[in-house]
Amino acid sequence: MDLSYTLVFTVFPYLCLTTFVVGHSYRYVTDRYAWNARSSQLLDNKSLRWGTVLFHLGIILTFLGHAGGLLIPQKYYDLFGITSQMHLAIAHWMGEVVGIAALAGCLLLLRRRLTNDRVRAAGSVNDLITLGGLTLVVAGGVYNVFFGNYNVLDSVAPWIRGIVFFSPEPELMRPVPLGFKIHVTLAWALLGFSPFSRLVHIWSAPVFYFFRNPILFRRNPELTRKVVDSRS
Amino acid sequence: MKIRAQYAMVLNLDKCIGCHTCSIPCKNVWTNRDGAEYMWFNNVECKPGIGYPKKWENQEIHKGGWHLNGDTLQLKAGGRIHKGLNIFHNPDLPVIDDYYEPWNYDYARLIESPKRKHQPSVRPHSRLTGKPIDLKWGPNWEDDLAGLGETGAGDANFKNLEIATYLQFRNVFMFWLPRLCEHCLNPACVASCPSGALYKREEDGIVLVDQERCRGWRYCVSGCPYKKVYFNWKTGRAEKCIFCYPRVEAGLTTLCAHSCVGRIRYVGVLLYDLDRIAETAAAPSDQDVYPAHLDILLDPNDPDIERAAASQGIAPNMLAAAKKSPVYALIKDWRLALPLHPEFRTLPMVWYVPPLSPVSRQIDPSQEADAIDRMRIPITYLANLLTAGDEAPVRMALQRLAAVRRYMRTQRVEKQADTGVLDAVGLDEETVAKIYRLLALARLEDRFVLPTKSVVQDEDSYARQGCCGFGEAL
Ligand code: HEM
Ligand code: SF4
Ligand code: SF4
Repeated sequence: MDLSYTLVFTVFPYLCLTTFVVGHSYRYVTDRYAWNARSSQLLDNKSLRWGTVLFHLGIILTFLGHAGGLLIPQKYYDLFGITSQMHLAIAHWMGEVVGIAALAGCLLLLRRRLTNDRVRAAGSVNDLITLGGLTLVVAGGVYNVFFGNYNVLDSVAPWIRGIVFFSPEPELMRPVPLGFKIHVTLAWALLGFSPFSRLVHIWSAPVFYFFRNPILFRRNPELTRKVVDSRS
Repeated sequence: MKIRAQYAMVLNLDKCIGCHTCSIPCKNVWTNRDGAEYMWFNNVECKPGIGYPKKWENQEIHKGGWHLNGDTLQLKAGGRIHKGLNIFHNPDLPVIDDYYEPWNYDYARLIESPKRKHQPSVRPHSRLTGKPIDLKWGPNWEDDLAGLGETGAGDANFKNLEIATYLQFRNVFMFWLPRLCEHCLNPACVASCPSGALYKREEDGIVLVDQERCRGWRYCVSGCPYKKVYFNWKTGRAEKCIFCYPRVEAGLTTLCAHSCVGRIRYVGVLLYDLDRIAETAAAPSDQDVYPAHLDILLDPNDPDIERAAASQGIAPNMLAAAKKSPVYALIKDWRLALPLHPEFRTLPMVWYVPPLSPVSRQIDPSQEADAIDRMRIPITYLANLLTAGDEAPVRMALQRLAAVRRYMRTQRVEKQADTGVLDAVGLDEETVAKIYRLLALARLEDRFVLPTKSVVQDEDSYARQGCCGFGEAL
């Protein structure tokens, strides 16, 4: 076994995943005050619109695509009559569409962050790293979809499943072209960085809003105690 | 019937002198920080005018509050699905220029300038970017009707009025409208928040943003029809008027009310029926909302209500305050105070006594009865502001105010009290004495009747001594 492969394709991913899990927990407990999307729409509305919509739609679909395509083994797709050929074709075409959307969004947002005086003044270096990192990862992904021309189902996908299910096999990455190697490594790095950025907002996507009462009341817990007391 | 207690405020516009004193302690204590520097939890607008943020009253633009869709009540901006789909870019969010771009002056230049032929000057620079800016708009930009010719036509309260007439110099009118969060009974901000960060305090109705749960989705900002939730551009969270709850819990009134030079503000407790909020907010027409709202405010001196309130856990001191509430008297007993834009259907709890104004033409004393309709401030304008266009309650409130004045004048100056004016507006001498005491003398202890926060009996307060406060931070 080659040490460099173990380091890059086993140790590094686990390092990033650990930071990801521990970082999120730590921040949620100690720094909930800053856990939000840090919207900059108030400062500049017009230039945000297309960038953010394209980016989010693109990235969320990309996210789902990656989860579905990489984490679920091909044999389950075969059960539904989706051959690996079809799977690759779907991944290819969908990837091109949502990847381009996400990339265009990234570039629009990046331009806004760099050129709009107000957004720049209110933003932080962290915001730039986040967006810059995302742009690199997305650009790498789009490059691979267009020019990679490589079957990831038998190499990258089982390697990622290996990491997720704690039986890493770095050797699976040996035949993979450089473009893919760079893409996955940057993606792990971004994952490790994300708890310390505004990306934490992803995990607060407001799903409960769809089920709750419109008007919320909260009672001072001290008073609740008192009511109980007076009845007893 | 489910009884809840609620703090409410009444502002007597008849006495507001537009001094802005109320805004200052509020700013100094709550929003004197970067990111909040443009926020005025309390601001004083000069009417007519488009206000702060620009045209906040026009919900065709801002899409705040609720509306009736058929006969179901819905957020005007759209429901949960719409919010979910547009969360990446809120189509109805005002931009900071609608409030104003905050600015500062570099005063050091005055001191540090070398000796020159001309005096040094300071230019305004933006607090967002630090760059010099040309001021074209600010908070109170329209004070004392400045720029009325340009902005006046955008005032939504001119509905059904010939705007051009009232922009002519000889017809012009003016009054002030101090504004703060209404701590609504049916708050659109709370219903708009995807995270559930905004809530209403069950024990006193104060509406707050939980700063640790706000994720910055910024729907409360656009959802509030009064535009009284602000987005802190530095921290990425929403902030709003907190009704000075740390003071109120200690039995003190809010900073804006306490500092009011005109002594126009009244703060007290109301009881209302929570079970009827939904039907009230969904009253069939816009003009039905105000009477329906009045209807769910319960009489704390009715023994049945009192008993029910006590058995439902309303604290005894809260109940005692409700019985002496100056706001209940102004709102319900005397019908002098009216809600602000009830057609937004949030059931606001900061109400206003409409202002009397000079009579615009010389009239024959025999016609004094319809002097109200000849006042400079058109009744229609006030009705659009306070009762969704229904002129009857506004006229009644103004007639009562005028009758109290007339009665007191005859009593004090002419030494011959004229009770005829009272009969015409349905008041008696005893009531007038109370109104006079509350509105004209306006003693501190009458204006503010606030209980202290209920303290839990089993609490060992000695053990808690020195346990709260700023601690290490200072
Ligand atoms: C899951 C649901 C998500 C929701 C509801 C959401 C919502 C938002 C909102 C409201 C903003 C603020 C936009 C503004 O007003 O300035 C934002 C910004 C941002 N989001 Fe998301 N987001 C989601 C998922 C994601 C994902 C999956 C990513 C990337 C992996 C992402 C990356 C970003 C970035 C980088 C920004 C900053 C854009 C900028 O201003 O430069 N978001 N998001
Ligand atoms: S006025 Fe206050 S309570 Fe009412 S909707 Fe606006 S922010 Fe919420
Ligand atoms: S302090 Fe009182 S009188 Fe002065 S502007 Fe405010 S509300 Fe009006």
